[in-house]
Amino acid sequence: MTEATTACTQPTVAIIGYGTAGVNALIGLRNAGFTGRVQVFSNIDTLPYSPILTSYYAGGEKTYEECFPWTAAELDDLHPEVVRATVTNLDVDARTVTTAEGAVYPYTKCVIATGARPMCYGFPADCGYSPLVLRTMADAQRMKDAFENPACKNVLVSGASMVALKSLEAALNCGKQVTLVGMNPHVLDFNALPETAERFEAGLRAKGVTLKLGCTIKTVEVVEAPEGRLKVGFADGSTGYFDEISVSHGMRCNLDFVPEGALELDRALVVDDFMRTSNPHVYAAGDVAQALELVSGNKRIVGIWKTAAVQGYCAGTAIAAELAGAQPSPAAAYEGAIPTNTIAVNGTLFISAGTMDVTENRTVDVRETDDMTVVYVFETAADGTRRLAGFNLTCDTDEEGSVAYDTGAMLTMRIESAFAR
Amino acid sequence: MGLLQCSDTYWHFAGQCTQCGHCMHACSSLTTANMTLGEIAKAMLEAERTAECVEDLWANIVSNERLVQAVRGCFFCTSCKNTCFAHNDVCDLIYHCRIDFQNLGLIPRGAWSSVQVDQEWDIFTAYRAVHGIYLTDLTRHVATEDHAAETDCAVAFFPGCSMAAYAPELTREIFATIEGMAGKTTLIDHCCGSPLKSAGFYDRAEALCDRIAEEVRASGVSLMVCVCPGCANAMRTTLARAGLNVDVVSLAAFLAQRGFTPKRALPEGPLCISKSCQDRNGTYLDELCAALGVGPETPSIFHGCCGAGGAVSAFDPNRQAQQADSKLSFAPDGATVVSMCPTCTYTYAFRLMDSPRPLANKHYAELLFENQFDWDTVFGQLNSMWSGEYGAWLAQVFA
Repeated sequence: MTEATTACTQPTVAIIGYGTAGVNALIGLRNAGFTGRVQVFSNIDTLPYSPILTSYYAGGEKTYEECFPWTAAELDDLHPEVVRATVTNLDVDARTVTTAEGAVYPYTKCVIATGARPMCYGFPADCGYSPLVLRTMADAQRMKDAFENPACKNVLVSGASMVALKSLEAALNCGKQVTLVGMNPHVLDFNALPETAERFEAGLRAKGVTLKLGCTIKTVEVVEAPEGRLKVGFADGSTGYFDEISVSHGMRCNLDFVPEGALELDRALVVDDFMRTSNPHVYAAGDVAQALELVSGNKRIVGIWKTAAVQGYCAGTAIAAELAGAQPSPAAAYEGAIPTNTIAVNGTLFISAGTMDVTENRTVDVRETDDMTVVYVFETAADGTRRLAGFNLTCDTDEEGSVAYDTGAMLTMRIESAFAR
Repeated sequence: MGLLQCSDTYWHFAGQCTQCGHCMHACSSLTTANMTLGEIAKAMLEAERTAECVEDLWANIVSNERLVQAVRGCFFCTSCKNTCFAHNDVCDLIYHCRIDFQNLGLIPRGAWSSVQVDQEWDIFTAYRAVHGIYLTDLTRHVATEDHAAETDCAVAFFPGCSMAAYAPELTREIFATIEGMAGKTTLIDHCCGSPLKSAGFYDRAEALCDRIAEEVRASGVSLMVCVCPGCANAMRTTLARAGLNVDVVSLAAFLAQRGFTPKRALPEGPLCISKSCQDRNGTYLDELCAALGVGPETPSIFHGCCGAGGAVSAFDPNRQAQQADSKLSFAPDGATVVSMCPTCTYTYAFRLMDSPRPLANKHYAELLFENQFDWDTVFGQLNSMWSGEYGAWLAQVFA
């Protein structure tokens, strides 16, 4: 053990992870009046960055500096003690955090805000090529370097999620020929119903993107051929040559440091209305938290920036109250969230919110105009009332302040108010 | 609390902003200021961080022209919020900035002296006094020379400032209709407090609303009917805060639910509905379509502010005019522009007086009832107030 091991002589809050949720936990603590010690464990040596902006950096639309939402001076105002180390163990009984260097840090309350990392499920692991992924600034830097390499002409994007499509856009912005391969029949995976997905796909094709939907990568060989350095075999029997492959096959919570059985774990850490895990001194926020999702009424991961920020703030506020000897205010409880997504790829806009799960009590209504398709998912409750449970929208143009954005926001708020607790 | 009253709000907002920059392109004020919403919050905090006293803070903000533009130039239309991927709450941010601006004396008195709607005289009460628009016979819950306070009312009708002042006969006609459909009605003709919020007097706006809640409690009503979505939102929040079990509905919803038959046919030509900024989730729009008897796809809908929001006219009159023009540009010649809020109708009328176009400009109540706004008369009377026998008094009151 190192000198970091000292008993908590004053209330100490440990925040593991210095991303959106972690920063907002810190803000929540300070706004709620906690003036004590806050140790933030960060496994990166930069300021907290915005994962949303990484694709813009990779595609040349943002500078490196623009990807960091908060300056050092701003964060210093919050008086964190930043510990640059990877956390390897959380002992919820002893209430300590252990880092890779073996230092042990005691805490009074702890917030887990370690986010998630991209996975390459199904990608041939031993092919000799490590695919591009997109989450961290380091990932984005690697993608940027790859796309800016003049030798790179053809890019294969595997996956059809939001992250995949933003990677695709980055490649397009760098002037690459892009092919997208996705296992589902349409892009946007579980966020879009066919009518809006098809309109979005038409937008991609209009930009020269080749779509191979309902298909997967089967083999990858490093061949260094003139057509491309990677020979890819697809599940439909076809082959193609590419210079780089970007893979977005899902995300996985960063919870390796939590011993098995220490905390209630489903797909992520199950939390209550104040982001408390099954241990009353440990909170979770962001991609590692499974909290109330309003449309289903179940606890789910809603892995978006806003949710991470709100959950982090909620955790910080609740901890400040408890450390002051009070119960957290019901008004400060987490209100729940609905899944929302907005993505624009080279001028084609897609917005969704709520559910796309068309169950027996739900009906779909499609409305089309010259430049926009909106799909509504209406739900009939047991008492016969009808409410909007989800929508998605594709617009052929992406203009800030447009009717499409206004409509998307309006429908999102309608779902939120219909399902608010 | 530090030098700023609302630092917590700025921190909260700054934490939720990705700095992606989309909001900036959704709003001409933000574009002019070249600032994102998150940068506004951060600029307020920066001004505080580098100030040792209030005078420093004042100087820091005044010298940041971009910040002043962004804060004073906001219509509260939420176009930026709608474009924000996280739908961050611009109204909460800017209202708090205005509070700090007001505390620091950064909003000139001329910007709000005529809309101190919690005082005896504001532009609406003065107009009504000068032109003899009293409506006291309808305010049954308040004792007057002619009647005692009545506590057994069923419905409160809340027409809002503009309708009560500028269309008293329409107000009476609606009042009579509500009473015929839902029983004994009383008129609450106060302001909902919106102009005070825009000027940075948030506490005074809430205090005004709390006084209204006491009147509602005294009247005994169980239902309040509001003409304007903004008034309805403010009243719903107010009455809930006061613990009153009073339903607040829009006039359109009230009429549609009770099978009201419009007293006039819909106008010929296209209908273009100017959706109220305050109708954030489109519920009032649906209610309006139901009252008019049109499907949601029949009229053209245009979103965004008419130009009247946020007291921007006191900061940049040209921007208000440009905004009104921008919204009216969505309506083709020969169309009827239908507003949900009477102040929007007023704003369009004012603009069309200066820049005539072959458009009909109507509040939705005018499509349902006999009586109409007479804007020529209204603007004539508004102008004459300042030069007639009351001119000196008004100049003194609103100096």
